Amino acid sequence: MDNILSFLRNRCTSVEEIDEHTLKSTCRLQDTLMDAVVEITVRLPDLEITDVKGEVYQSCRKECRESADYLRKITGVRIGPGMLKIIKGLIGEISGCKQLVFMVEECCHGVILSFTKESLVDAPRPRDIEEAKEFYAEMVRENVRLYNRCAAFAPGSSLVEGFDLQENS
Amino acid sequence: MHKYSRNKLISVRREDKNTLIVHGVLDDDIYGIEQNVRISIPDLEVLEINGKWNRWTTPECPRAIPVLQEAVGFRIEEEGFSGKVHKIIGRKACRHHANLLLECCYSAKEAALIAKWEDKKAENKGLTFKDFINGETKNTAPALVERPVSAGRDFVQRDEVKKKSFNKNEERGTIIDLHMHSSPASPCSSVPVDQLIYDAKSIGLDGICLTDHNYVWDKDVVDELRQKHEFIILRGNEITTNQGDMLVFGLYKDIQGIIRLEDLRKEVDKAGGFIIVAHPFRGFLVFNVGELGLTPEKAMERPLFKYVDAVEVLNGKVTEKENSFALKVAEGLGLPVTGGSDAHEVSEVGTYATMFPVSVKDENDLINALKTGNYSPIAFKKEREKIKR
Repeated sequence: MDNILSFLRNRCTSVEEIDEHTLKSTCRLQDTLMDAVVEITVRLPDLEITDVKGEVYQSCRKECRESADYLRKITGVRIGPGMLKIIKGLIGEISGCKQLVFMVEECCHGVILSFTKESLVDAPRPRDIEEAKEFYAEMVRENVRLYNRCAAFAPGSSLVEGFDLQENS
Repeated sequence: MHKYSRNKLISVRREDKNTLIVHGVLDDDIYGIEQNVRISIPDLEVLEINGKWNRWTTPECPRAIPVLQEAVGFRIEEEGFSGKVHKIIGRKACRHHANLLLECCYSAKEAALIAKWEDKKAENKGLTFKDFINGETKNTAPALVERPVSAGRDFVQRDEVKKKSFNKNEERGTIIDLHMHSSPASPCSSVPVDQLIYDAKSIGLDGICLTDHNYVWDKDVVDELRQKHEFIILRGNEITTNQGDMLVFGLYKDIQGIIRLEDLRKEVDKAGGFIIVAHPFRGFLVFNVGELGLTPEKAMERPLFKYVDAVEVLNGKVTEKENSFALKVAEGLGLPVTGGSDAHEVSEVGTYATMFPVSVKDENDLINALKTGNYSPIAFKKEREKIKR
């Protein structure tokens, strides 16, 4: 039947503030082949992962049904640049279930995006497009790491017009 | 209340025997994205992509859409697929579009597996999906995790951290860039080693340390390079540990995967080597560690500082605030401090370096000099005019 789906995936990641110093990030996956949840607890301000829990409710893959315990190996890792390499290095090979490892990554990205959202919400709201451009142009001047990190901050974009890499380095 | 939520919904239907149509939606507190992707079943090749924004942040985010076409022709099962998507779509278009594209592609991979099972089932009605994947494909898990392909960053950072001043009359000793990456030893670097050396020489450095990621340079090869270029070339290694990246000198053991920092310390002690923690406070794109409430005093409590000999406080890949923060922490702990460009591209060579008051000609000299703690990080490119002899 033409319009009947052969596969459906629903993934939801959410970050909750448990207290002033603790965040909990949860990734739930439900698709045609798998049903699982991964939850990490993160301590501020270091963004250190203090606890990891994983549960696979349904999977036709043995390696996924038996991998949840390996996730504990990432306890102590800090969320930050380079974390994916560390997470994959610590659990990617011993856990044959790549999906569970990916769910840990999604939890970590969720934590980072929760702070990104906070920064954007706290910033003054631009009144027009010119103010918005100036806001983001200032952001890249403040943090040159943004330069050329995506199409919006690549050469040719109005946000980096007149931006001198040497001067801002 | 949730601080942040992201939902992704992917649906896949089989258009015909050989084609899948994937529709992906990503909705989170910040972005709203949709993609339609057409994928061939036999070779899992991306045939067509259409993407659109529903909500975005900067006025220039729409520039990402045409770049998505660069993923047409990618094959989901080819080696390094997710790395390519991150590097090409994530960097040149948008990392959130890259994230959704991967989700679409790996969902298609699962759907293709189901399609193949359905085709097999036509011949063998009793074949269950479980038996099909366990019997036919030993390793059919979605390849969501691969070796990361990190792209070299083509920029350098500002330097306004406190720097030790130079006395032009002082004997300047030896200036070495202690942190650089060459291609192909570091997949994230775009600079061949000969070019790296040529550039380091031409800007007036006295020497360099090759610190490729988890890579041990052969001594004979480095000796040849040294003779060929008549330049001081020393071996180091940037080793990834569970506590981040460490610049290691004097240990020539090939360490692969992620090692615990405590275990690395033991190895380095056995070899009589030296550990410098690299860019210890490298931050994020939109916010930095200071905004999380991390103070230098709190950061000093991090266990990793018990296992390192020195701290890299001038690194060419981090912001001035992050370098400055690292310096405060190192000073608070009384640890020696170093500088290195962390160059991955030609323009980055020698941005920062370390100045030793003594002559450093070989790896033994380097270890001995490092262990004295008597050296200082310098913003070499900016300061080089002042320090010309």
